[in-house]
Amino acid sequence: MKKIFSAILVFTLLLSLVGCSSGESKPSKKLETDTTKEKNLPVLGENVKFDPNILINNGEPKEVEFWVWDSAEIFQSIVDGFEKIYPNISIKIVSHPWGDYWTKLPLALQNGEGPALFCVHNSQHDNLINNMEPYDIDIKDLTADFTGAENHVIDDKVYYIDYGMMTGSIFYNKDMWTEAGLTDEDIPATWDEFIEVAKKLTKKDSKGNITQAGFNYNSDVKSMIMGLNYQKGELLFKEDGKTPNINNDTMKENMQFLLDLYNVHGIGSKDFGVTDAESFGQGQSAMVYKWGWYYNQLSNDYPDINFGVFRIPTPDKDVPFAYDRYNGESTIGISSTVDDASKEIAQAFIRYFMSNDEALKELCIKYSIFPSKKTLAEDADILSHPVLKTLSTTVDYLIWPGPFPSTIETTLQQSFEDIIYNDSSIEDSLENGNNKIKADMEGVDFSSVESQYKHIENK
Amino acid sequence: MSKKAKSLILHFVLIILVVITIIPFLWMVFSSFKTNSEITSITPTFLPKLFTFNNYVNVQKSFNFLRLFANSLFLSVAITAIVIYTSTISGFVFAKYKFRGKNLLFGLVLGTMMIPWCVTIIPRYSMMLDFKWLDSYLAIIIPAAVSGFGIFMMRQSISTIPNEMLEAARIDGASEWFIFHKIVFPLSQNVISSIAIFQFLWSWEDYLWPYLIISSEEKQVLSVGLKMFNGRYGTDYGGLFAATTISIIPVLIVYLIFQKRFIDGIAASSVKG
Repeated sequence: MKKIFSAILVFTLLLSLVGCSSGESKPSKKLETDTTKEKNLPVLGENVKFDPNILINNGEPKEVEFWVWDSAEIFQSIVDGFEKIYPNISIKIVSHPWGDYWTKLPLALQNGEGPALFCVHNSQHDNLINNMEPYDIDIKDLTADFTGAENHVIDDKVYYIDYGMMTGSIFYNKDMWTEAGLTDEDIPATWDEFIEVAKKLTKKDSKGNITQAGFNYNSDVKSMIMGLNYQKGELLFKEDGKTPNINNDTMKENMQFLLDLYNVHGIGSKDFGVTDAESFGQGQSAMVYKWGWYYNQLSNDYPDINFGVFRIPTPDKDVPFAYDRYNGESTIGISSTVDDASKEIAQAFIRYFMSNDEALKELCIKYSIFPSKKTLAEDADILSHPVLKTLSTTVDYLIWPGPFPSTIETTLQQSFEDIIYNDSSIEDSLENGNNKIKADMEGVDFSSVESQYKHIENK
Repeated sequence: MSKKAKSLILHFVLIILVVITIIPFLWMVFSSFKTNSEITSITPTFLPKLFTFNNYVNVQKSFNFLRLFANSLFLSVAITAIVIYTSTISGFVFAKYKFRGKNLLFGLVLGTMMIPWCVTIIPRYSMMLDFKWLDSYLAIIIPAAVSGFGIFMMRQSISTIPNEMLEAARIDGASEWFIFHKIVFPLSQNVISSIAIFQFLWSWEDYLWPYLIISSEEKQVLSVGLKMFNGRYGTDYGGLFAATTISIIPVLIVYLIFQKRFIDGIAASSVKG
């Protein structure tokens, strides 16, 4: 026992050297005082401009933190470019796991111990906004450069906008497509055409059991259902922008449509594959409706699947009121609780980020999101990406309802599962769902921005 | 039923339980040598179809695995060593000394075990902020330095040491420190072993508190690093299983060192007299 304790003691002392050596956090780079104001570097950006020919923090050395949950390598390359201009500035990137980032960040911001810069997701708007500093950028410049920036104005201030828009598309298995005798000419434009194609892609055994689903929406109706409503001109919120519009005839019609895909047309089954994403990845289903992020997941987790992407079908051949809902990928936030020098660095970095087309493009391609920066809308690299190429045709007809509480998505999913798995009636399920959402949203300060949709007058 | 038949049935039941317990663990170890698509396959495999070391090779690329491993090891060993000492000395006082309010104080110590730790997070965080201990190991070590569970276990164990033995030492001129370090401590080895195993495991797998307190990546702990495999849109299962497989090695070593005394200690602490 004595030997064990001695060993532990020696081991602890040795390890304490490792532990203590990390006591002082080293700056990411060796900082020098910046004395060169005129750097003879070009001013970046069209309307939102970044002028490198200024001193930040009077040229005095300063380090700030930048918290991210993903894409640290892309953000690091942006930071490297910024630090190259300013030898006195260090921006230290700190990676966090996605799930608990939203526990730690609000706590750290509140106490003034948080980062100067941090990645934002609009689903956490309420948790963050009280400790965020508005951008020191003219709103006119922002709206001139970025699509949808006007949706983010709060009391004449902007705290973050979207650098890209993510929405859904139909992912299809090209090998199954060919095997079913289908060609590019058969890409469906309407839901009726889609059903016919899905029937050709569905395989059944001698007992009538599905062995290959033509279409699979299991576990992810929530992403699709709101888009179906928008196609028919039905908004997610009533005119006051606060009351959820869940229990209505359009929603009932669309839920019935989804049920009929399985029960009447037989192109899939509620019992065939727990999740659509996995079923498609495993080569069990021929088509799924997924948002842009799925492109990367397929490429990483299911490299053997030969897939293509096409636009979500619509009720008829005409351009609908809207094709689908989109959600924005937010730009970087600035903490309002850090010191003024850190805020100055953060504001300069935001301008650098917003005027850096290459960096924005890289992020958009990584997440398969269509850039909101107008100068990138026609970019060759963007348009060569399968998902983004598809979105380029519909981007003007996508609606963002605003950073609505997550209860809407989760409750809609529960309501549909109640119908399909527990044989509840559509009416009862939607009534219960609507009541639950209303109760969950009581006291939540949310206003829809659907009224700011470009084509709202077509409703 | 004969004794042999009973023994056979008992062994059969125990083997079944062992298999049920160990299968998920073995599946994880084998899966760390599979590709992600094989891990998430609809037709699951137990042994890898396509054996790959890539998950292990890439562990260090995902985050500074070795650094975080060393940090976790340091914190777990340090906390375990401190807890063993504070538990033993407190247990000795509660078991062998008489003073006013002893039972009330012991009740309070037991009470600390009944408060869900998660409700203390916010006040503890505020305290660490006031102490200026954020992003410091002190904020992880100090709140964990005294364990209600450890004190309870040690009190039960030290109560069984005959008072006569301690009195004899006192008559021979031994100081209280001498008695504690040279008599009580060595006689408590079994229970110390069980506390060591429990405490090491709890410290090793502690996630939320270190995550909230530590900001610098180079000071972060392994449990937080493992969470990095779980992304916003998916999980790198292969990487997660490989890193987890490596990360349980210290726990296994600690258990192997202490297991015999641990079993003896659990048995001893459950029987008084």
